[in-house]
Amino acid sequence: MQLISHSGLATWLDHLAQETTLIAPRNVDGVLLYRPVQSSGDIVWDFVRPVLSVKEAFFPATERVLTIEKTGQQIRLNETVPDGERVIFGVRSCDARGFLAMDALFANTEPVDVYYTTRRENTALIGLSCNEMGETCFCTSTGGAPDDPTGMDLMLTEVDDGYAIQVITEKGAALLPEITLQELAGEIPQPVLNDPVPFPPMEAWPPQFNDAYWADMAERCLSCRICAYVCPTCRCFDVRDEPLPAENGSQHFERIRCWDSCAGEVYRQIAGGHNPRAAKGDRMRNRFFCKFYYYPEQYGPVACTGCGRCVDACPVNIDITEVMHAVQRLAEVEP
Amino acid sequence: MLDATFNLSTTTTPRAFNGHTSIYLPVIATIEDVQVESKLEKVYDVRLPGGENLGHSPGQFVMVSLPGVGEAPISVMSSPSRTHDTFRLCIRNAGDLTNVIHKLERGDRVGIRGPFGRGFPIEVFKGKDVLIAAGGLGIAPARSLIDQIIDNRADFGRLIILYGARNPSELLFRDAMAEWEERDDVEALVTVDRADDTWLGHVGVITRLFEHIQINPYHTVAITVGPPIMYRFVVMELSGKGLTPEQIWMSFERRMKCGVGKCGHCQVNHRYACQEGPAWTYAEALAFEEAL
Repeated sequence: MQLISHSGLATWLDHLAQETTLIAPRNVDGVLLYRPVQSSGDIVWDFVRPVLSVKEAFFPATERVLTIEKTGQQIRLNETVPDGERVIFGVRSCDARGFLAMDALFANTEPVDVYYTTRRENTALIGLSCNEMGETCFCTSTGGAPDDPTGMDLMLTEVDDGYAIQVITEKGAALLPEITLQELAGEIPQPVLNDPVPFPPMEAWPPQFNDAYWADMAERCLSCRICAYVCPTCRCFDVRDEPLPAENGSQHFERIRCWDSCAGEVYRQIAGGHNPRAAKGDRMRNRFFCKFYYYPEQYGPVACTGCGRCVDACPVNIDITEVMHAVQRLAEVEP
Repeated sequence: MLDATFNLSTTTTPRAFNGHTSIYLPVIATIEDVQVESKLEKVYDVRLPGGENLGHSPGQFVMVSLPGVGEAPISVMSSPSRTHDTFRLCIRNAGDLTNVIHKLERGDRVGIRGPFGRGFPIEVFKGKDVLIAAGGLGIAPARSLIDQIIDNRADFGRLIILYGARNPSELLFRDAMAEWEERDDVEALVTVDRADDTWLGHVGVITRLFEHIQINPYHTVAITVGPPIMYRFVVMELSGKGLTPEQIWMSFERRMKCGVGKCGHCQVNHRYACQEGPAWTYAEALAFEEAL
């Protein structure tokens, strides 16, 4: 394995920022986000994880899918498929693992979502291992690890004299700096791990569907949906039209898709106002069933990477690891 | 039987996807005709570019959109047998989009994606007695199936149509119903929840009509389309008459936002109503929670 010095890495990232769009953890008005940077100096190095997952670089919170031009009775539509190559640096393992779930739906299930797949194809991911797990992290309980290279093109891990570079894909190899890198002497240090939380197997979930636990647990939920917004795998969306400035007597609009969440009150409302999932307990139950039962049943991957963002973000302390504990307990009592 | 019917999927390849990269790009269709059906509903004849046949099956839906207003799923009303260069939609004025659709006239344009979903497996119904129980606007998607059966009448056994509306002014397709009542190979019964001075027919919820019919449970398939609350009671009646859950079909019309199995809104547990539904058997519905 090769080693890049701190200064060598900074030079390389500066070069990437010149050559292409470089996205990295950056402080935006006091909030840490994956955002384009102009140079390595913009990058924040000491962090647990950005507030929003790297998902938003592939499936943005609000995204234009079409532009619509209406002149009299004539309607013209244009698809707005994204272009441009990008490199994302500083990707956490939990976020890259989220692509297992996102790819399964958008890229590997027909019909393919070209907005998502184009960004995936045009983007290289440079991972940055965590030296230790954050307070609310539990990636090791959902199949990942702080230094898991799954989904990355290159994986960097901090060592004494710089960063060890692990080449994962050809796309990653093509990104490597042209300077000669030293060979790494010694071992890569192992990350410090948190105690694991229980991970109830799929079959533990269905018997608990009608348990009173869900209504109790969700009673304090504010239906604010922040859990879905910070999640690296939540991928539900709404589609709506918004006006754009009019030109030459014609009306212009954009059709956008924006993040939505099953925790929201009207998410499941159907024609006529009926709502088969109106109760808070039912909605929160769906959120957790989706992550650990429906999603794996439908697509394979578990839709939780143990990043812990929802635990940090929830204003009323609903904790997904407590739910995992509870389901495990319920399954043991009533298997 | 369950597996056999479950695999009878109809096309789920979105029309707008052909030749385009975006699965969200509609084609621009033209409204050829508008008819006022009731105070709340209008019927639209829609022509795809070049008069292309929609190529749907009964029970499928299309995504209808208007620039600047949005997009919504609407079931196709016309049967494949009566769909040539135009197809037909019955649209209730019930929301932001449908409110604007109701202002459209002949010659106006709408965006269309679809047809989407799995419709009713009409091949499986062949040779059997078919009972259709429709409530309210559910008669519109039911029309697609009814007309398909009427136009291929010899392929099926008895055709029993039960239709319920809240009051006589909300009854749709009175002309078609008059035709059904004229025919001796269609048994059509209509009821209203609340009668008025003009109404001489049955009064009461749709399940009250079951006392007027005899069916052979070994030889019948039942299809119910309507408000979700109706399904539970219709299923009780059908079960009481000896039908198994595999013989009962129902349409799960959710508020799809994408129609292509991505947005999550129509999911029932781990199944997408826009892909594997909206037509599901009661047996299938029983296998997942919170379907009914």
